[in-house]
Amino acid sequence: MASALEHVAWEACLIDPQPDRSLDAYARRKTGLPIPSLRYFAPVPWLARAIVDLHPEYGLLVHLDQDVADILTLIVSQENSCRFCYAAQRALLWSQGMSAARIERVEQELSTKLAPRTTAAIAFGRTQSRIGPAAARDAREALRRAGFSDEEMKEIAFTVAATDFFNRAYTMPAIPARPMERMPDQLLMRLMRPLIGRMIGRHRHRGEATPLERPSAYPYAALIEACAGLPIAPALARTIEAMWASSHLSRRCKLLMLAVVARGLGCEVCAIDIGKALEREGLDEATLGQVLTHLDAPELDEVERLLVRFARETIWYDPAALQRRARTLRDRLSVPELLEAIGVTSLANGLCRMGAMVMGHS
Amino acid sequence: MTGTFALGIALAAIAVLAITLYRQWRRGENLQRQLRAAAADLDQLQNACARLAPAGVVRRLVADGMQPDPAAERKVATAMFVDLVGFTQLSERLQPELLQRVLDGYYQRVSDAIDEHRGHVGSYVGDGIVAYFGAIQPNPWQCDDAVHAALAMRASIGAYNAELAREGLPPIAIGIGIDRGPGLAGLMGSRERREYAFIGRAVNFAARLQALTRQHGVDILVSETLRGELDPGFILTPMPAAAVKGFAEPVVTYAVEGRSASQLSSAADSA
Repeated sequence: MASALEHVAWEACLIDPQPDRSLDAYARRKTGLPIPSLRYFAPVPWLARAIVDLHPEYGLLVHLDQDVADILTLIVSQENSCRFCYAAQRALLWSQGMSAARIERVEQELSTKLAPRTTAAIAFGRTQSRIGPAAARDAREALRRAGFSDEEMKEIAFTVAATDFFNRAYTMPAIPARPMERMPDQLLMRLMRPLIGRMIGRHRHRGEATPLERPSAYPYAALIEACAGLPIAPALARTIEAMWASSHLSRRCKLLMLAVVARGLGCEVCAIDIGKALEREGLDEATLGQVLTHLDAPELDEVERLLVRFARETIWYDPAALQRRARTLRDRLSVPELLEAIGVTSLANGLCRMGAMVMGHS
Repeated sequence: MTGTFALGIALAAIAVLAITLYRQWRRGENLQRQLRAAAADLDQLQNACARLAPAGVVRRLVADGMQPDPAAERKVATAMFVDLVGFTQLSERLQPELLQRVLDGYYQRVSDAIDEHRGHVGSYVGDGIVAYFGAIQPNPWQCDDAVHAALAMRASIGAYNAELAREGLPPIAIGIGIDRGPGLAGLMGSRERREYAFIGRAVNFAARLQALTRQHGVDILVSETLRGELDPGFILTPMPAAAVKGFAEPVVTYAVEGRSASQLSSAADSA
């Protein structure tokens, strides 16, 4: 099964995988299968767990048809040129019984059998990847015209955001894509396909209405509250709280990266929210203004200066160029610092895009 | 006897069915092979097109399939005009093949600097290059990016001149003009041939600034508008007001000297 992204240049992996039995067990418990690629993220547990916890396959979607979500994940990964996620999603669809030919037709949108709603969702996914929040208002209207309810639209936005997050998290450190691309061609995998499909199918489940335990008090709180009642909200809240609690990078440094992504995507509401949080961290308005205008300020420390500039590279990217830039950081940061920076910027890109759709701003 | 006959019929039917199924399978395999070959051709075509137009634009066209061209959009972008100084003398001194090699080296270095700083080459105009920053995707840091790109070109052409000197070839020099302003970005041209372009006053003014570099004896000139948006870490020198075609009043411009020493390390990080 030839992948349409095989020609996309992909650098050698920046980091080494680290065995972590608790992480393996966590993945197996939630998805039914081990996820070997998580070992690359083991030094930053919140990031590794977020990759499992935010996957739309496992109990996060209540209203949106799972097939639409699956196709959306495939198309957004294709649009973002993430060879790993694209191959992983193809392998997932294949293991669940979709033929290689059907997958190829879906990718090329050749099939006239795609429902108009699916086509509208695909168009939204593409728009978010190419244009971002600037196109959110039109995209929202197009989804509404296609017949999606508000709750379905939130889940579509979440699916795209989660995929944007996965795509960046796997692209920046150049997690090896070849084994995943070759998986459906291996005889053993072909033989085990029904078994794998069954194992995944057993853990794949629809979500149920879930109350938000407590109000949030951090940037993106408004986004989470806008999703209250859906299982997406507590999942996102847990991930964001774990991200703040992690200490590889300072809170101020993380906020600065979020601010740069919000500015690059033109998301004013996120920018205000993050600006207030930075003020609470003691950063004055003039300094923040300088950082956002010129990606630099004398008040920044060396790590902040590096990562503020790196954050803007993650907004629109060519995989190989982004991987080369991440490689330059590899010599100047520890592996946990680098991975945390990758996690924060990846999450920021997803959440900003989702915020524009869910909260109706751009 | 009847049993044998029935068995024969059954075997024959199974054989016919098997042959039919085999043929269907072969046909399916064939179709899949053709589909894969067509997809590979399309990929190849897309890659080839990416050499002629910005990759993002090509991807968008391929994904949008047979839909008509997306409408051009109003944007604020930064335009850069780069030109080779003394091209006529150079072309008189060098054989055409050698001239082409020198020119290719120049185009490559300038394009790499543009690409590395998130700009894209709009078109080649003779020995000149028009580039845009922030025309395809939103880029609030487009002014700084353009000036960083210009400084990278200066360094890169300096290194290229050292290579040319080793081969006994004459050095080349470039002039760069940069301005920022509103305009229309999108696919433009005739029905037969279209290209992604940005049109607006800033593009014309960037070309005029590039021509002014010769008059002022500098290599990088930016407009007053662009200066207002730039990182204060860039060292700029105001040039005497000069008459520019199409402008009633003499125009004040700024030569870019470089970046202040305290900012150099962070500039290197960004590059």
